[in-house]
Amino acid sequence: MSVLLSVVLRLVFWVGVLCFIAGIALIGPRRLYELGHEVVPILRDAKVPIAGLLVVLIVSAVGRSALETLSRLVGIPLTGTIYALEGGFVAWLQATFVTPEATIYFSWIYVYGYVFLLVFPFIAYAALPKTTTFKRLIVAYTLNYAIGLLIYTIIFAHGPRNVMPDAVTSLLYTFNPDFQALTSEVNENTNVFPSLHTSLAVTAGVFGYLTRREYPIWAGLSIWLAVSVMISTMYLGIHWLVDVIAGIGLAFGCVYLSYRFIEDEEPADGSDEQPEEATADPGGGHPAVGDGGD
Amino acid sequence: MTRTTSRRSVLAGTGLAVASAGCVGRVRNIVSREPSDQLMLEIVTVPADTDPNAVRIARHLSEHMNEAGIDTRIDTVNLDDLLRRSLLNHDFDIYVGQFPEAMPFEPDALYSFANSRFAAESGWQNPFGFTELAVDDLLSEQRSAGAEDRDAVLAELQETVCELQPFSVVAFPDAVTAYRDERFDGWEFGHPTSAQGLLRLSYVPPEEREGTDTDTEEDADADESNTLRLTTTDDRITENWNPIAVEYRRHGTFTSMLYDPLVRRHDDGPLPWLAEGWEWLDSETIRIDLREVEWHDGEPLTADDVAFTYEFLEDTSMGEAETPIPTPIFRGRSTIPESVTAVDRSTVELDVGSVNPDVGARALEIPVLPEHIWSDRTELVSIAGIAVDEEITEALVSPNDDPVGSGPIRLVESTAETEVIFERNPDHFLRTLDPLEEVDDDPNPSTGETDTDPVTDARPIPNAYRGKPSFERIVIEVVPSDIAAVQQVGDGLADGTLSNLGPDAVPRVGREADARLVSVRSAAFYHVGYNVRRAPLSNPRFRAIIASMLDKTTIVDDAFEGYAAPATSMLAASPELVPEELRWDDDRGTDPVHPFYGSNGALDTDAVRDAFRDAGYRYNEAGELLARDQ
Repeated sequence: MSVLLSVVLRLVFWVGVLCFIAGIALIGPRRLYELGHEVVPILRDAKVPIAGLLVVLIVSAVGRSALETLSRLVGIPLTGTIYALEGGFVAWLQATFVTPEATIYFSWIYVYGYVFLLVFPFIAYAALPKTTTFKRLIVAYTLNYAIGLLIYTIIFAHGPRNVMPDAVTSLLYTFNPDFQALTSEVNENTNVFPSLHTSLAVTAGVFGYLTRREYPIWAGLSIWLAVSVMISTMYLGIHWLVDVIAGIGLAFGCVYLSYRFIEDEEPADGSDEQPEEATADPGGGHPAVGDGGD
Repeated sequence: MTRTTSRRSVLAGTGLAVASAGCVGRVRNIVSREPSDQLMLEIVTVPADTDPNAVRIARHLSEHMNEAGIDTRIDTVNLDDLLRRSLLNHDFDIYVGQFPEAMPFEPDALYSFANSRFAAESGWQNPFGFTELAVDDLLSEQRSAGAEDRDAVLAELQETVCELQPFSVVAFPDAVTAYRDERFDGWEFGHPTSAQGLLRLSYVPPEEREGTDTDTEEDADADESNTLRLTTTDDRITENWNPIAVEYRRHGTFTSMLYDPLVRRHDDGPLPWLAEGWEWLDSETIRIDLREVEWHDGEPLTADDVAFTYEFLEDTSMGEAETPIPTPIFRGRSTIPESVTAVDRSTVELDVGSVNPDVGARALEIPVLPEHIWSDRTELVSIAGIAVDEEITEALVSPNDDPVGSGPIRLVESTAETEVIFERNPDHFLRTLDPLEEVDDDPNPSTGETDTDPVTDARPIPNAYRGKPSFERIVIEVVPSDIAAVQQVGDGLADGTLSNLGPDAVPRVGREADARLVSVRSAAFYHVGYNVRRAPLSNPRFRAIIASMLDKTTIVDDAFEGYAAPATSMLAASPELVPEELRWDDDRGTDPVHPFYGSNGALDTDAVRDAFRDAGYRYNEAGELLARDQ
């Protein structure tokens, strides 16, 4: 337990520091201060999406083990098929690009960078004059989780590090075994398809791109982080390429659906801005992610 | 049953199946109707987190089979699902797994493993569906043969089984344990994480520890209670304590400590355990004197419990079902006695027919179950009052979450998939034994005198066990991987690791300051099991070629980092029983019966293809091995 606690404390500390710095630099101290007084009304305004997210998180926490059992009983075993589809891509990735520096970078990204990428938009979008983006973000996260959990149950598969340990090193856990105390607490090793790391990170990245007018720096940063997370899942041997592609698809789907579910509010200002992006989002996101990937 | 399909139709088929979330097997079977498509086989094993070695063997084999033109897939499943599929449902092509016995075993273990008589049963008895009259005859013969003749029978048996390869023995692993010895002592002797090894450990009180003054802050710590803290990657012991639930047992270490056997297998032969002693009344009858002990619930353990146990292992429905429903485990042993009689409260007589004394003693290596608990578990399983299966009794599926045994430990509490706590049974007979007069300096009793007199086999319990166990509690924590397990020991959060350590974890032990490493050759050999019920695995020629694609030397070097010994015979843990022709010769470096096609780990694809062609198999222009229309 104490290993887990120390990992969690480290995570909370570093993500807290990053959010604080990013908050000062990207949102501004004055707006942050004002936000402190508006938290209650903002949360009340977004109470339905927040309740939905909480329900999904609680179901995930309580039912994950039961769903995993169900998946073992009736799920479609797809490990062999995924491997047959993509072959040794992840092994090639590791054989070609592994350096100690990259391992440190991607390990850091997989844990700290990822959590920061997901948490900071809550603050950033709560600080916007309208709560629309804030609510859409929550809806998109919720959908990612809910659909991900459903697919995890339907499909039973292990990741490359578990299937070809001779060719794919479990880099994250080999160099930071402590992290596994955390990840095994929030996930099962059979939950690989699709990659929720990828889908949630890409979701945050797409929102970052969509809010590029409000937060131009965050747009670049979030896309950079999202692409890094995406690569890290494969670099560290945790996910297959197929999982990552499915994760990207899931992300765009969820962002699209969040725009369908949350209508734009009565405009306070700049009323013609949001709908335009709503229709443009799936296409708009692609090149951004592509840019980062290169 | 073997699915034959071209690569293209597989992709189409799976795509379809995923889209409709339907049954892959059905789709596969439909597309597989066209004859002469590429042969497709599936190797089922456990993921690297669970067993870092098994999946490496599976990978080695599947790579080579793919090179030989067989479309081979690896399917990783959880350990209990692997056992369910391979042992209970026989739903597999090829599996990679470990034999359940870690201590060197009596060769009679082969009796149930390869006997056609058990091909229809589920469990560790003949999971392959192997049926060979010659082997059956030899198996019966080795039971009845006298000591001089038995070796020759066993030699012929091993040769025949190796020739026919219902399974391929790959290697005997070293059971590697990472431990720290400041709190518990005695890890170096024998198999430290077997029941015997754990019982022998001695608690080191804080004042006797080396460098006590340096870690004074630890003295105040709560962990000063003498709790033995172990880590494992196998979470099954946190969910199920049923000694006959085969899919939940690896070596049955903890269930054998909950349920004492009559006789406990030991490095140098059987130790009288619940049986205080036994003697052969005549060539066919063993009389057992039981110790006076109580079950964990205070009821006395009597001869009736022993007689009940033998009957129960043969038929868990106790005569209520149409046909007997035997246990999936201990099957070889339970078939040895022809009848078991409770003579009086503490005396049991086993009529074993004409078997040799070693086999007779093996019949005593069964856990004794309390009749007053297990006689209520004989009805057929039902869900909501409706019988769901004619062949499963309650006893086989019960998690047994309140185990009442007679052993040295009792279950305290458990959190599924996280942790399980056992406590010492203060009334266990070991606790009351005083040290023997002659002080045996060697805590490992293997050098002690072996009483080979078959008439009275009642040697005293060695000093290493007397007054034990010295732990008050055992806490087993489930960790996500072998690396995490070693890390726990290195950080001082655990005293030892229980589960297998792979090539990434072993080197870490050396880097942790206080962690040490002990390795003992285990008898739980890794093997590749073939489902002989399915063509073309039903063809011994085909199996022989598959066996020749295993480069056991390379596997030992790569998958085990050298912590294993390649082998040909399943009895290689008892080298004196292995005939010359089946011994592994390191100079030759390859299997004497089915030598590897290739050298230095590289497969000679042409040689394999020629071998398949010689055996009557065909290839298409793309170099794919075609499955004959069976």
